[in-house]
Amino acid sequence: MTSLPRTILHADMDAFYAAIEQRDRPELRGKPVIVGGSGPRQVVSTCSYEARKFGVHSAMPGVRAKQLCPQGIFVTPRMEHYAAVGAQVREIFERYTDLVEPLSLDEAFLDVTGSRALFGEGEAIGRAIKRDVFAETQLRVSVGVASSKYVAKVASDLRKPDALVVVPPGEERAFLAPLPVSRLWGVGPATQQQLERAGLRTIADVQSRSLPQLVQAFGENLGEHLHVLANGLDARQVEPQREAKSIGHELTFAEDLRTNEQVREVLLQLSEMVGRRLRREGVRASVVRLKLRHPDFTTLSRQRKVPATADDLEFYRVACELLAACWSGRPGVRLLGVTGAGLVEGAAPVQGGLFAQAPKKRDQLLKAMDAIRDRHGESAVRHGGERRDTNAWGPAAEDA
Amino acid sequence: MKILCDRTVLQEAVNVVSSVVPAKTTKPILQNILVQADGDGITLFATDLEMAARVHLDAVKVIKKGSVLLPARETSALLRELSDPTVTLESTDQRCRIESGGGSFVLLGEDPQQFPESSEAKSGKHMEIACGNMLRMIQETVFAAAREETRYAINGVLLDCAAGCLRLVATDGRRLSISYENVDTKTEFKVVAPLRALNTLARALPEGGKEMLRVEVGDKQIVFTTGKMQLVSQLLETRFPDYEGVLPKAADTTVELQKAVLESALRRAAILSASEMRMVRFEVGEQQLRMVAESSTRGRADVSIDAVVKGSGGSINLNPDYILEALRVSQLDSIRLDMSDDSMPAKFTLGESFTYVVMPISGT
Repeated sequence: MTSLPRTILHADMDAFYAAIEQRDRPELRGKPVIVGGSGPRQVVSTCSYEARKFGVHSAMPGVRAKQLCPQGIFVTPRMEHYAAVGAQVREIFERYTDLVEPLSLDEAFLDVTGSRALFGEGEAIGRAIKRDVFAETQLRVSVGVASSKYVAKVASDLRKPDALVVVPPGEERAFLAPLPVSRLWGVGPATQQQLERAGLRTIADVQSRSLPQLVQAFGENLGEHLHVLANGLDARQVEPQREAKSIGHELTFAEDLRTNEQVREVLLQLSEMVGRRLRREGVRASVVRLKLRHPDFTTLSRQRKVPATADDLEFYRVACELLAACWSGRPGVRLLGVTGAGLVEGAAPVQGGLFAQAPKKRDQLLKAMDAIRDRHGESAVRHGGERRDTNAWGPAAEDA
Repeated sequence: MKILCDRTVLQEAVNVVSSVVPAKTTKPILQNILVQADGDGITLFATDLEMAARVHLDAVKVIKKGSVLLPARETSALLRELSDPTVTLESTDQRCRIESGGGSFVLLGEDPQQFPESSEAKSGKHMEIACGNMLRMIQETVFAAAREETRYAINGVLLDCAAGCLRLVATDGRRLSISYENVDTKTEFKVVAPLRALNTLARALPEGGKEMLRVEVGDKQIVFTTGKMQLVSQLLETRFPDYEGVLPKAADTTVELQKAVLESALRRAAILSASEMRMVRFEVGEQQLRMVAESSTRGRADVSIDAVVKGSGGSINLNPDYILEALRVSQLDSIRLDMSDDSMPAKFTLGESFTYVVMPISGT
């Protein structure tokens, strides 16, 4: 399947939510805009480039952002609005290829290998997309063009905002070589330290080691992963999703989780996120999938069939059972994911009860919680956990 | 201890008491049966501390009095496999030798003194009912009891004795089964017995038996006695829901159906009900009942049968398994369905004194 080099674009909207706010409210232009709350348990969704100068970034606790940038203007997220603009942008992407794989509202991979005859080389397509997006939404998008998903993603991110970075076929290794190892997808602070202890600071350093050497030093999973990425060998396909076959969320942690309580706390949070998106889409999931990754990149994935549900707590319950079945309690969890798959349309048939109307009440509760979050942000109302320490863990929303 | 007795008689008695022996336990001694021989014959006793069963056999030749503990499973298997009409049990210390048909087997028991005593039932209230009737009532109700611990689970069966009538009621919160029998008593009680106790009792009761079963109810215990068999069980402290409140008082539509026809038609329709929620739509039209099931991934079934319909007709969604489980224990040829709309329970009359109520599925 490796015939001609593919042409893959990664298109990533610049400071998407903040840019929309600045577009819609001229008084915010040129100001540090922070989308998200400044409360103790709220996090920054996005911030404008003006705010980034102060060191504010996505997934930072709102309180910290407030300290760094006291003059920052905090804006409550308007997710539905952003989703509508995101759909408008996606429609532009789809003019250039059918093979669009959205990663979130504001970024997507495009495989334009087959579109070159029609629209020109990758660079020309990238430029056309940037032009269309700006003309139609007054928003800027950064585009990376390369022969693989990973290199395209690195490229789009390299000179943000409003960038177009092209990595011609054959130049992937040279392009990656000078970058720090933290640019390798999946390398967070902990892995970075591990690599640096082994003398690997740049991607060139990783390229200088053979696959067997990397495997010996970092184990099979991480070693192979590093080798593939550093040498631009990422062969993953762009997978268009006409309809979401699954809805999931995962979080990678700045610091590995160590206790069962921490893990369960995050599972509850992920379950709420998944449940909320299912309900927003008006679907229910009949499969619950749990993903867990250790610092050495060993990744466990477990799933179970369930009666179709969109209930946060049902997801949480099943996720905890899957966790108990696959996690020995071995400390060090760097990533957790909860996914609902096997999606079915429409409201669930409900077996009536002779003595209680409990299921209906539960639906009403979830509806009310969703409404509160729509108005006041995601952390405005939560299910009660067993125990909740402020900042017991530091999740960083994974961008991908 | 030394006894000589009929093998089949002993085997049956061992089987009855064995049904309370726990399969898993932290107290291995409970996996034994206590055998005591005295001047009147032998008594077999087993318990799991929540339930106890005792059977007395007098058609036994007691050669030497005494007692012994026998491992329940091995004893039962051995008696089943032996071919001689009689067996001899002889114990010395904690070993028991079984002689039969030229074979000789030694079972290693434990110290009979260590076996838990049977607590004597302190009972005030009692009543009697024919064994066969009790068996029928148990069969007509236990299937509807909750088998798993859920929020609404009622893991037992209500025995409600009042105004000369004993009712057994079981429910899992979604369907409810009631069976009753008139009894000649002024006794009144309302207690919940564990499902397992009634299942064990049912296994020991003869089909259609005319002999009487004595039911004694104490504060914490219920005791069933018939002939030489006694079963003692702790009562559940669950509050049983108000079952009379959920029985529909009136119905918009009444449907009379041939049970065998309904059963086979429903079984066919149910094959194509979705796996995520078993559901068949019952549509009552002019002199017919139509059953429709649909699965988005497997297909669709549409079955109609003749029915005698009175009333306006209508349709409700029901879990076919709930209906099939009840039809299986119904002894009537012709059954009746009373229904109103999909927010009201459907009522099935499945016997002269057997009523079954099922809550429909809504929201499709």
